[in-house]
Amino acid sequence: MAAAATPTADTAAIAPSDFGRVLAQRERRFAAALLAPAFIALMATTTFPLMFLVWTSAFRMDLAMPFTNGFVGLENYRVLLIDERFWSSLLVSLIYTASTVVLQVILGLALALLVMDMKRGQCWFRLIAILPVVLSPAVVGMIWRTFMLAPEFGIVDFLAINAGLGSKNWLGDPLLAMISVIIIHTWQWTPFAFMVLLASLASLPEDIYEAARLDRATAWQRFRRITLPLLRPAIVMVVIMRTMVALTAFAAIFTVTGGGPGTATEILNLYAYRKSFTELSIGYGAALAVALLILTIIISGILFAMRRAK
Amino acid sequence: MIAKRIRIIALLAISLVFLLAWAFPILWSVLNSLKTDPDVLAYPPKLVFAPTLEAYRDVLFGSASILPNLVSSLVISVGTTVVTMLMAVPAAYALARLNFRGRKSAGFYVLATQMLPPVGIIIPYFLVLRNIGWIDTYQGIILIYLSFSLPFAIWLLVSYFEDIPFEMEEAAYLDGASRLRTLWRIIIPQVRGGIAVTVVFVFLNAWNEFLFAVVLSGNTVRPVTVAMFNFVSVEQTLWAKLAAVSVLAMLPVVVLGVVAQKHIVKGLTVGAVKGGGRR
Repeated sequence: MAAAATPTADTAAIAPSDFGRVLAQRERRFAAALLAPAFIALMATTTFPLMFLVWTSAFRMDLAMPFTNGFVGLENYRVLLIDERFWSSLLVSLIYTASTVVLQVILGLALALLVMDMKRGQCWFRLIAILPVVLSPAVVGMIWRTFMLAPEFGIVDFLAINAGLGSKNWLGDPLLAMISVIIIHTWQWTPFAFMVLLASLASLPEDIYEAARLDRATAWQRFRRITLPLLRPAIVMVVIMRTMVALTAFAAIFTVTGGGPGTATEILNLYAYRKSFTELSIGYGAALAVALLILTIIISGILFAMRRAK
Repeated sequence: MIAKRIRIIALLAISLVFLLAWAFPILWSVLNSLKTDPDVLAYPPKLVFAPTLEAYRDVLFGSASILPNLVSSLVISVGTTVVTMLMAVPAAYALARLNFRGRKSAGFYVLATQMLPPVGIIIPYFLVLRNIGWIDTYQGIILIYLSFSLPFAIWLLVSYFEDIPFEMEEAAYLDGASRLRTLWRIIIPQVRGGIAVTVVFVFLNAWNEFLFAVVLSGNTVRPVTVAMFNFVSVEQTLWAKLAAVSVLAMLPVVVLGVVAQKHIVKGLTVGAVKGGGRR
């Protein structure tokens, strides 16, 4: 390690037995100096807001009606537990997260397997796959809301009309709106799953497949018994990362439906935002955000336990 | 033989459909940005039309110009990148290279900060910034952007610092160079590539951010992702202009993404190998 460095002029005077200790102490001080700015900034922008958030959630803080403000203890949480809109947003969150993650992994994996065997044209997939993932979800949402999903001249609606389904109100109907926001999220992030799984596939050892071929294993058997178990770590990683993002998705729903129609596409994250910044009831919004944090911790706990298992 | 050929054609068709599905929305926005409003609204959609740059001229130099918003986005992204890198490079070096008690917990802390939902950060931050009058200011937005750019940058940089051999550092110490000098002269030059990749991703994430921007922006500081809403309102949508703005908002990140193509998987999965992570 770097600690084994030779004495500089001033450390040479110290007795050899103390030498290691002095160096270790210096290393510690140097490390502290290097870490300090980043850690102070991180505490100020994450740890402090977290504590302030929990504190805020114990207050009634209504920017529209400041005269009613005051400490209310756990009142916000009591209201939350009987708030139907909270439970419905929780359900929407779970449906949105589960369906987008499952779709991304299945489509991404299928596509990675397909492209893996291609001799030419792989580079096109690699190039095109980059485009959606580098875009701002806000811009993606805007493009889908207008040029893809607008009635009649939006391409999706145009295709639906020509397929004989007739023009649909893609963002005005509760069920269709939910399907639309799920498709938009899946569209944007499947390339991510695809790229990660393709990279993982490319690193699998060739000889196992040779052996399997000699044993006359079918393509399905090879996939089921070799590819899938070997890809498991990569798949679990994609699931964990995408779940965390989907739970706190904001821009791609906000720009497309704003949570509507009504509260049909209002995930918990969006409900906390709307409560705080549209209805200006910040104390209750903070309680919702804490609920979202607890949900995130529970789900990541489950996922990490799954990752450790086997 | 025939069955095999059919299989190949089917697979080719499927892959083409997917390629098209991904490229199309972006391509279609580009095409629409070159149309006039009646052309955008034409039914059936027009693939052949007389292209015009009118929409771009309007959104850049017209009465509701988004040039100030592009400048806002640029200042925020560059500011966030500079501040983040100044803090993240030393921190990442310490986490990757130095021996001290609590190194593991420090690294874990950096990862854990990413678990906090952004909406949980913005509610208290909004209250604080409102009190000190930092709403609608660059320093307010850049400060809060550190909450996601710092953990990301630190972890990405740690992976690059871990890759360089110890020998060079040791040789420098043997020559009597101080730690700071060694870091600056010997180590930083070796992770130049990693630093460049980190800069690209930090810039990209800052450019794309939306939730914090929508809460903290106002008339002075309004990045382009938020300003897009000027072109869609309840009364009317300015179709061609909206397309032009979308293309302008996409352009920098697409260019950066293509440039950093080889590093994108690493940039997207950073931290995940060791723990959680989000983007």
